[in-house]
Amino acid sequence: MASFSAEERQLLHDSLHDFLKENYSFERWKKLARGPEMEGFGRAEWARYAELGWLGVALPESAGGAGGGMTELGIVMAGAGSHMVLEPLLGTVVLGAGAIEQAGTPQQRERLLPPIAAGKQLMAFCHAEPGAGYARNYVNAVARRDGSDFVIHGEKTFALGAHAADTLVVSARMGSEQGPVAFFLVPRTADGIRLNVAPALDGRRGAAVSLTGSKVTVDAKLGDADEDMLDVIDRLLDRGAISVCAEACGAMASVTQATVEYLKTRQQFGQLLSKFQVLQHRLVDMSVSCEEARAVVHAALQALDDNAPNAQRCVWIAKVQTARSARFIGSQGIQLHGGIGMTDELAIGHYYKRLTVCETLFGDGEWYLKQIATAASRDFLT
Amino acid sequence: MFIRAVQHNSELDTFRSEVRAFCKSELPAEVRRKQARGQHLEHHEYDAWLKRLGSRGWLTGKWPKGHGGLGWQPEQYLAFQEELGRAGAPPLISFGPTMAGPVIYTFGTPEQKNKYLNGIIRNDTWWCQGYSEPGAGSDLAGLKTRAVRDGDHYLVNGQKIWTSMAHWADMMFALVRTNPDAKKQEGISFLLIDMKSPGIVVRPIIGITLGHHLNEVFFENVRVPVENRIGEENKGWTYAKFLLANERVGNVDIARLESYLGQIRRLLDETKERGTALAEDPVFQRRMAELEVSFATVKALMADQLAAARTDGAPSLMGAAALKLRGSELQQAILQTGLDVLGRYGMVFQSDALYAGWNGELIGPEEAADVIYEHLYRRAATIYGGTSEVQKNIIAKGALGL
Repeated sequence: MASFSAEERQLLHDSLHDFLKENYSFERWKKLARGPEMEGFGRAEWARYAELGWLGVALPESAGGAGGGMTELGIVMAGAGSHMVLEPLLGTVVLGAGAIEQAGTPQQRERLLPPIAAGKQLMAFCHAEPGAGYARNYVNAVARRDGSDFVIHGEKTFALGAHAADTLVVSARMGSEQGPVAFFLVPRTADGIRLNVAPALDGRRGAAVSLTGSKVTVDAKLGDADEDMLDVIDRLLDRGAISVCAEACGAMASVTQATVEYLKTRQQFGQLLSKFQVLQHRLVDMSVSCEEARAVVHAALQALDDNAPNAQRCVWIAKVQTARSARFIGSQGIQLHGGIGMTDELAIGHYYKRLTVCETLFGDGEWYLKQIATAASRDFLT
Repeated sequence: MFIRAVQHNSELDTFRSEVRAFCKSELPAEVRRKQARGQHLEHHEYDAWLKRLGSRGWLTGKWPKGHGGLGWQPEQYLAFQEELGRAGAPPLISFGPTMAGPVIYTFGTPEQKNKYLNGIIRNDTWWCQGYSEPGAGSDLAGLKTRAVRDGDHYLVNGQKIWTSMAHWADMMFALVRTNPDAKKQEGISFLLIDMKSPGIVVRPIIGITLGHHLNEVFFENVRVPVENRIGEENKGWTYAKFLLANERVGNVDIARLESYLGQIRRLLDETKERGTALAEDPVFQRRMAELEVSFATVKALMADQLAAARTDGAPSLMGAAALKLRGSELQQAILQTGLDVLGRYGMVFQSDALYAGWNGELIGPEEAADVIYEHLYRRAATIYGGTSEVQKNIIAKGALGL
């Protein structure tokens, strides 16, 4: 459904990089990440992204979006990754909007998507539960009907951005522990919601969320039928996975570039580090590894946009390769910088941390390998 | 040779029980509790525990008997480390016992031995290492901190960096340049510097762990008595290399690796995937088996180097390099396994929980913050003590004649 031409994609890519280069220096990043409000991102930045059309890039034009597909969303995520953009693109634009688009009724889409494109709505995706691990369909939260309301009880593990979101997208089973899974849009400030706010490894904040009798109206449930949303969850988590892959690609390119630059300035043993062949080869491996990830992520985004029958497998493959590349590039970025790479002062350590989180969000490389292995025979036959 | 003499097992078993019993009765409950949660110890808590070990002579058990050590065989030293790790005791600190001590008893004057060795044996003195400088990392011999003779003192000016625990140290062993005109390895001297000397400023460096472990140390006209020089003037590089070989063996901290493995086994038991413990996942079972094989291999390499240190007075530069290389890789692999478990909790890093007085609510297992902290900190295991690249150069040149 690629509605962007190659030129438009290039333009989107360039405008992202130009804007972030100008407005999102590492100094600015530190201020936003560690600001006194402890939100860990910038609300003014978010408003700018809305004006620039990034938030609605993959939303329909009727919702104030640009009508792009996953490839366009991937371009935005990669740009964000290159500067470690802290604002909640993943929770709001990738998952929140994704849930509404895929599970909502036409009326819900019409009502809920425009505020996202306009930057008026921050969301967090609260799906994973204690004991789930990376399993996608392990839901024990329950939403019971009570007149014209649903009453939700359940525990959700750490959800990125939940501390600041206007709305939490909560998965729960309807009626009982055996009921079909549905999504509920729950205001963060609703009664019965308790947040345990904490930072993740990369310093970004979120919260473990517990819901004790939180009440929402019937129209807070996405979709009008009582159908099981597990298929939607599967697609959404693929969408999340490929988006963090794209983000990681941006970050890996920045790490590789910064490391090349550093080795061109640092002298030891009377010559530039960049003149040592073993280090040149390492930089080459970083650069190739970066390209491997970019290529396979691009292929997966394309497969999703084309609704290719093997699209899911393409996403899993991209996640495994991205995890490999991220681990290698992130750790070599620090290794080749040496001691200075170990300090809080330098961006390189922060890229390492973000890459480590990207590697594990929605399942790590080992987990996706296992999915590929166990789905192998089925795919081979079809 | 393919094999070497080894110590008998029955003696070791007795010794192991002795260490276990000691840890059980002497490790203070508060320290044990903090260790279990991975919390950082206060300096006085750490000091008190090391002094208890020191009172038994165990901090320096592997030193020769003539220098106040217990003359431990390699197997005994390894057993000691394993038992400490299993008991959840705080890790040992190698600056005094492994680095400064052997240099002093091997190259020092009788006065220096009298003055410093006892303080190391009993942990009355905390040491730090003044090696790296901003312009001298892998190229250590390129160091520029200058020491100029002024009567019976040296006047020291310059800067050291990445100095672990300088903020806790009483003494520093430092490499300084005493002859700027000679070939770079031939103009270096080895000094013992009192950290309370006027003119020393220690500034913290905050690491990617968000913790303070590293420092910059500045010297401005610091007066160091000439009697604090180890060995001959301008021969410091010889002692520096001797120390590096010991440091690299010491970098492979068996007790710490043992305790990481314990943490990770607990994480695998506690962490469920779709309700089933990860300990039952064949992928993690295989990875734990891989780690066990690597750990056994590293311990065997280590025993060889400890044996070399007993017979030749020092580990071999090449053997120490190989051990450090593999030991640091193993350390990172163990911690990576821990991290791979913690991804399932959203990679929450409650670093404040590592400090006393935190009263927040943990998300996920109690080991999490410590495993993440150590994972981040040990990214430097392949950097400090000479990068992996430097170790490979040493082996290429020294062992393979390339």
